[in-house]
Amino acid sequence: MFNYIIRRIVYGVVTLIALSIIVFSLLQMSGGGPLNRLKSNPRITQEYIADIEEFYGLNEPAWVQYRIWATNYVQGEWGISFQGTQPVFEIIKSRTGATLRLMLTALFLAVMIGVPFGIYQALRQYSFFDQLGTTVSFVTFSTPIFLIAIGMQIMFAVYLERWTGVKFLYTGGMNVPGYNDLGTLARFGDTVQHLILPAVAIALISIAVYARFQRASMLEVYHSDYLRTAKAKGLPRRRVIFKHALRNALIPIVTLISLDIAALIGGAIITETIFSWPGLGRQYINAIGTLDYPMIMAIVMALGIGVVVMNLIADIAYGFLDPRVRYD
Amino acid sequence: MTDHTIQQPVGGQDFEAEGLSVEPISQWDLFRARFGRHRLAMVSAFILFIIVFAAVFADVLPLADPTADFVDADGRPLVRAAPRADFIFGTDTIGRDVLSRVIYGSRASLIVAGVTGLGVAFFGTIIGAVAGYYGGAIDQVLMRFTDLILSLPLLPVAIVAAAVFGGGLWTLALLLGFLLWGTLARIVRAEFLSLREKEFVEAARAAGARDRRIIFRHVLPNAMSPIIVQSTLIVGTAIILEAALSFLGFGVQPPTPSWGAMVSDGAQLWVSAGTWWLVIFPGLALIITVLSVNFLGDGLRDALDPTQTIERR
Repeated sequence: MFNYIIRRIVYGVVTLIALSIIVFSLLQMSGGGPLNRLKSNPRITQEYIADIEEFYGLNEPAWVQYRIWATNYVQGEWGISFQGTQPVFEIIKSRTGATLRLMLTALFLAVMIGVPFGIYQALRQYSFFDQLGTTVSFVTFSTPIFLIAIGMQIMFAVYLERWTGVKFLYTGGMNVPGYNDLGTLARFGDTVQHLILPAVAIALISIAVYARFQRASMLEVYHSDYLRTAKAKGLPRRRVIFKHALRNALIPIVTLISLDIAALIGGAIITETIFSWPGLGRQYINAIGTLDYPMIMAIVMALGIGVVVMNLIADIAYGFLDPRVRYD
Repeated sequence: MTDHTIQQPVGGQDFEAEGLSVEPISQWDLFRARFGRHRLAMVSAFILFIIVFAAVFADVLPLADPTADFVDADGRPLVRAAPRADFIFGTDTIGRDVLSRVIYGSRASLIVAGVTGLGVAFFGTIIGAVAGYYGGAIDQVLMRFTDLILSLPLLPVAIVAAAVFGGGLWTLALLLGFLLWGTLARIVRAEFLSLREKEFVEAARAAGARDRRIIFRHVLPNAMSPIIVQSTLIVGTAIILEAALSFLGFGVQPPTPSWGAMVSDGAQLWVSAGTWWLVIFPGLALIITVLSVNFLGDGLRDALDPTQTIERR
């Protein structure tokens, strides 16, 4: 077990190193670079550009730049954003909270809705509800997330307000400008009004995937021999389902959730852009637009660490949940 | 048993007298029968045929030029016209025909996704086949590499790559293919691992067949079902990813029409100008195409590999 965890951590670190090398080399391959705008302005002198390159270390060969970046990165020196003078570390720190709030809410909704939905479908296999659920999940995970997000934004934020005259939900942002002056209850309400749409937009596809998966997993367990025994010896149905079936049927979902984290991050990038959510995803899109190297690297690493850590947790959790899994 | 006469079983039953057919049923017949039962898949195949047909023959069809800016009778640009008889999908913000742009826009999606699907089918199969057939150190190296690619956060890497290399259709297909071949390689490897132990492979080897012949003539045909199904699903994923990249502005670049970019342009105007048709039509085209591809994949899975279906218990 211990060896297994160590090995998984090593794999995780290797993945992160590979990720940083891939993204770093990609950025080096980009046609111009972050100083394109300065260079194309004839009134800016070569000396000034050379100074800037010197200052940001852009005059070094690529592998030296990578070495410097990597040494600094592991020491917590994440550099200064090319846009303005703020340290990247500070920006990441302030934006991670927003992304976590969005993603954890989405994950919570996806698990709390998708899993029971799938279980219920399995228990009523081939019923109208089951058929409808299967079709709806199929359509949902065939829909690109930006269409879901835009659809929800227009329906539940724009038109709902137009028709009722009351502002239920916001089209963007994380809180209203005067948030700090509000009372506790109003703060909570305001947070929910901003959070619910982007969180549900991210969650919907995962709800569909989890429901489909949980339905299959539940059906498999429900037709197994030990469950037939439980039913045959006359246990009440409730007890059969909750004590015997669910225990095993819920295990595989752990793996699915860990695999889904990367998809959730992708969804968050798109949804944050649509709902002007001040998180890492929107920052990432902005940073790529301006080729802000230190910022791009720091965000990619933050997202990569998120994926690697979640995969690690899921792998270890699986071992505790399913005693048949042996680590060697 | 070299000729095709049916041996009479003990008891002397006559199959034909009982009305039972002794006609051999080919794999293809079985496939057609099972696929035909999946009505949604049949409908999807038909819809996809129409979409591909429209994309290929867009130049010949009676369509407006997707880049032409239309002008109304007073000589003013015909911008943001709601759907009507002569522009049934309306016009966009600089007066271009949305119907024509939706149909031409299918080209970007179909080319990127089609090339991605074929590329993944080709390279994923070869990598998986080599890893599964040879095993040992080759397998270790190839699978570690596959794991690595699979554990990269897909969209962030795709965005950087698309931003760096620009949004050419082939470039996008290449980079999506590079990011998506992992799952197929894993599936093919698993198939090869189990198939290479089978007697018919042993027989082929005993008959002196070389590795390449065994891989391509003996093992691969038996592993075709999951390859076809998985490649179809990859096409669906690729359409969604291409649309997402174009939506964010890193995919197909204007003036080439693409559904993702059309939705992005239209969404900002919907709230201020009520131009719902700029979002709904390309959005619907996108959903219908992906849905058809996925239903087709579902039907193929049912038809090619009935043991895999969870639905039929």
